[in-house]
Amino acid sequence: MQRIDAFRAIAPSIAAEDLVTTSIGATWDDWWNLKPDADNTFFTGVLGSVTSTALGLAVSLPHRRIVAFESDGSMLMNTGILCTLGAERPPNLTVLVFDNGIYENIGGPPTLTSKNTDLARMAEGAGCLNCATVDRPDALAERFSTMLDDGEMGYLVAKIEPGKHPWEWKDRKPTDGIEDKYRFLRYVERLEGVVIHPGAPQN
Amino acid sequence: MTGGAAPEYARLFVEGLKEADVEVVTALPESLLASVYRLCAADNAIRYIQVSNEADMPGICAGTYLAGKRAMMIMENSGIRQCCEPVARLAFQHALPMVMAMSYRGEWGEQNWWGHNHAQTMAPILDALRIPHRFVTEPDEIKPAIKRAFKHADGSNWPVALVFSGNCVELPAYAKD
Repeated sequence: MQRIDAFRAIAPSIAAEDLVTTSIGATWDDWWNLKPDADNTFFTGVLGSVTSTALGLAVSLPHRRIVAFESDGSMLMNTGILCTLGAERPPNLTVLVFDNGIYENIGGPPTLTSKNTDLARMAEGAGCLNCATVDRPDALAERFSTMLDDGEMGYLVAKIEPGKHPWEWKDRKPTDGIEDKYRFLRYVERLEGVVIHPGAPQN
Repeated sequence: MTGGAAPEYARLFVEGLKEADVEVVTALPESLLASVYRLCAADNAIRYIQVSNEADMPGICAGTYLAGKRAMMIMENSGIRQCCEPVARLAFQHALPMVMAMSYRGEWGEQNWWGHNHAQTMAPILDALRIPHRFVTEPDEIKPAIKRAFKHADGSNWPVALVFSGNCVELPAYAKD
């Protein structure tokens, strides 16, 4: 199972009304092409802050399903967030880690999950609920879908083979971090009926 | 553990958070703002998220902001070193506002040898990140400072920092004289 296979397995489970954060890298182009036709994703350009950003969304919008698409590189950059998650256990948050064991975007040197690190067991030890590892698309789709709706947090590691889908240049994510923020922010404003960033002061 | 009545600065701090519509506080407890952490953790109107590394906090604040709510991150000034990378990326790459409060460890008269580096590095790091900061030293400054910090952050799409010192921390440096 490569990343694109994993994304294709879980994409039907994500609704436009769900809010998503994603790790940097090839994940961006895959999800840009497979996500719902809505700006429901904050393409987080910060390794190590994908899950923490999702946590902020989850505690602030407890009525909404929040998903973090993590990578092994991003998780390993800040494993302390597992302890925070384990303490908070936000019931509406599902973390899905695409773990290929390498830093693929920079040529493929190994991450430490290719050695002895098991992220799902780390998460479990940190107090997270519903921690599991899968390596097949059908199992991934089933576990992920269950985690979205079981009323508890979920932490799912998808072991994937190296390999990037060869998106044509025209199909790659065209936006930068500023546009990503505004698209997501305006979408949340419409979805929640709130004003997050007014063009002028209210008073 | 309640630890008795809260000092005036801490009571005003938490009142200021509520008057500024802050709903989420994320913090790594330390000694100089000890009563603030204790009051926030015990307050049902505040979602208090304790972390074990300040690097968790910028993302939590960013997610809260993107949800249309207000968050504040609170730490010792040494924490800016730990969270420098996510703060930098969330600011420079995404132009996300963020309000951080920190105690000023290393105040004039600091007696702990390990505390001086916190003061020595704080302002240079904040300046490098282009984060404006204001010192809050008297209790009557606390509420307006918090209110204006959110206005400044939201208006600039950038982080701001409040540095608590003097009579706005648990044990003023002069108290040791």
